[in-house]
Amino acid sequence: MTEALCKRLLDEYAAVRDSLPADVVSPERRQEAIDALAARGLPVTRDENWRYTNLRPLERARFAPAAAAPARGASGTPPPLPSGLDLPAGLGGFARYTFVDGAYAPELSSPREQAGLTVRHLRQAPDGAAAQAHSAAVLRLPRALPASSGLPEARLALLNEAFATDTAAIHVSGAAAAPACVELVFVALAGADKGASYPRIEVSLDPASRLILVERHVGADAGASFVNCSVNVDVGRGAHLTHYRLQRAGARSTWLDTLSAALAADARYGLLAVSTGGLSARSTTHVQMAGAGAQLALSVAALGDRQQVQDHFALVEHIAPRTRTEQTFRGIASGRARVAFNGKIAVREAAAGTDSRQSLRGLLAGPEAEIDVRPQLEIYTDEVRCSHGATAGKLDEDMLFYLLSRGLSPEVAQRLLKWAFLEDVVAKIEIPELRRQIEHGLAGQMADAASLKELL
Amino acid sequence: MLKIENLHVKVDGKEILKGLTLAIPTGEVHAVMGPNGSGKSTLANVLAGRPGYEITAGSVTFQGRDLLGLAPEERAREGVFLGFQYPVEIPGVNNVYLLKAAVNAARKHRGLEEVDAFEFLTLVREKMRLMRMEESMLSRGVNEGFSGGEKKRNEILQMLVLEPRLAILDETDSGLDIDALKIVAHGVNTLRSPERSLVLVTHYQRLLDYIVPDHVHVLVRGRIARSGDKSLALELERRGYDWVTGEAA
Ligand SMILES: Nc1ncnc2c1ncn2[C@@H]1O[C@H](COP(=O)(O)OP(=O)(O)OP(=O)(O)O)[C@@H](O)[C@H]1O
Ligand SMILES: [Mg+2]
Repeated sequence: MTEALCKRLLDEYAAVRDSLPADVVSPERRQEAIDALAARGLPVTRDENWRYTNLRPLERARFAPAAAAPARGASGTPPPLPSGLDLPAGLGGFARYTFVDGAYAPELSSPREQAGLTVRHLRQAPDGAAAQAHSAAVLRLPRALPASSGLPEARLALLNEAFATDTAAIHVSGAAAAPACVELVFVALAGADKGASYPRIEVSLDPASRLILVERHVGADAGASFVNCSVNVDVGRGAHLTHYRLQRAGARSTWLDTLSAALAADARYGLLAVSTGGLSARSTTHVQMAGAGAQLALSVAALGDRQQVQDHFALVEHIAPRTRTEQTFRGIASGRARVAFNGKIAVREAAAGTDSRQSLRGLLAGPEAEIDVRPQLEIYTDEVRCSHGATAGKLDEDMLFYLLSRGLSPEVAQRLLKWAFLEDVVAKIEIPELRRQIEHGLAGQMADAASLKELL
Repeated sequence: MLKIENLHVKVDGKEILKGLTLAIPTGEVHAVMGPNGSGKSTLANVLAGRPGYEITAGSVTFQGRDLLGLAPEERAREGVFLGFQYPVEIPGVNNVYLLKAAVNAARKHRGLEEVDAFEFLTLVREKMRLMRMEESMLSRGVNEGFSGGEKKRNEILQMLVLEPRLAILDETDSGLDIDALKIVAHGVNTLRSPERSLVLVTHYQRLLDYIVPDHVHVLVRGRIARSGDKSLALELERRGYDWVTGEAA
């Protein structure tokens, strides 16, 4: 990080420091985060594991949060969303919480009480049954920075820590017959020149509890926002978390994201991400398999077109014995896009009996596109089972010709094959309603023609 | 229907078809036999428009039009069907979806409306019964996990649904058990009509017991070395290719 950039970061922080809510992140922790960031510096393209990210927007970004309180009409009227930005239809049985530019928007939310579930955020719901519970609640703050913020790849979480304007803190307690269902929608409206948006999520599951979390990031089609998202996940012993992350940021946005998760013994975490939005998108995922018998299924689909950059870095650490992970990546780069997935697996000394499978595949769908899938393996113990497959290539000529020989146009044939390629990830979406939404979104992303939607 | 004249084709710089001439009149069934590597699949692929073949001389006219000037998908929509020697597996592309897309592409080409979904399924089910295929195969990926014989049956199913004017079946009988051979032959026979032509590429005389050809051609080193009626296949079976290759040399 250049000195000028560092100075600007500190100045911007100093200017807004006193207006940042202390009950989202305490002033001490904010200071600690900004100091750590200044010391370590923001990532640069020279850094290993950041080569594919487009980091230029960081140099131009305004770090201070965009309007902390989004403009809103009289009580009950939703703030105006720009035309062309329709929030996705809610999912049956899910409580929805919407945040606009990093601040809770009650008008766009529909909380729903569920056994064992608490969702806290700064701006409490103005009325309704949940309001009581909410107003009494004080955000439970972890006392220290998340362990992974020391990780070079997780540095951007510090930026969120320093500037965060609100948090969605989800806590699930007790074993229930059915999992709690929560949907978080983060809308980025403000342009990068007005300031940044800091979505922030803290998820904690008590032992044996269950949660299905749908996390969506949306922006206006032409939106050019600067979004820096931070997610912390803590899955307790024997607890079960299914987590969908759908990134459909505005087409000119910079979308940066850090997710850190720790799994206790026998915990299960299903994390499925679909990234299609943003001009420059980068996701860092760090999962610690800290308890024996923990299981992780990490699935990522990324679609890049035009000048888009879709960069994913995932580090999975097997720390405890008998942990299992299954990683699936499917990425397609069209136009002049760059799509990368760097999947690193570390098996620590005590992690005997680790079982790790990785299937990474990239599809090059344009002469000027670029794709990079990179498996990395570090093993510090014996007695592990690791299987890894990584391929990057073009559409299969034989498949293509087969489809053409049946009369399909080259455009439809290519689209079909791209579609089929993503299926390994899409088929894993267990909520039919959500899968349909995602399929429609992908079909729309891949083609203007309705030909694919016929499939659905 | 189809007229091939003096066709010369190179693959990777090597000449495979060396002046092949062959005419398939409308309504006829022709069998093409010949030793391994003689160029039978090359011919089939060139007719279907597969990329990677360099046509250095000759012409192919299909219903009076220059076939070689058409893109593969245009040939298909005009009614040319290739049954592949090795049908490719396409996981994730649904069998029934491909069938429907193929039918609609041809209909659109002829200025017809899209096929009614219900009628279409009824038709497909009927043809599947004819081919003795499990209905569950419809919802699977194209040829995904199909056995060798199932893939060949699936090719014939597609042909039955698409009702092409010219079908070129490249060794559709290879890899079929005795019962499947009869089923496939029966399927093919239902399509025989005065408006349709069929080219059967095969190594085995047995297929021709079930689908009786009007003519049999022997392809040797990129050229038709001998033509005759059904009895030629029987004679080949008895005497082997040496008999013809010797003559052709
Ligand atoms: N891509 C290629 N590069 C080089 N040679 C090729 C290529 N494709 C085909 N050939 C050669 O062309 C010749 C004809 O092949 P073709 O597949 O047409 O034979 P065939 O008559 O169908 O044989 P079979 O009975 O074994 O199916 C063979 O010698 C083959 O090796
Ligand atoms: Mg062949």
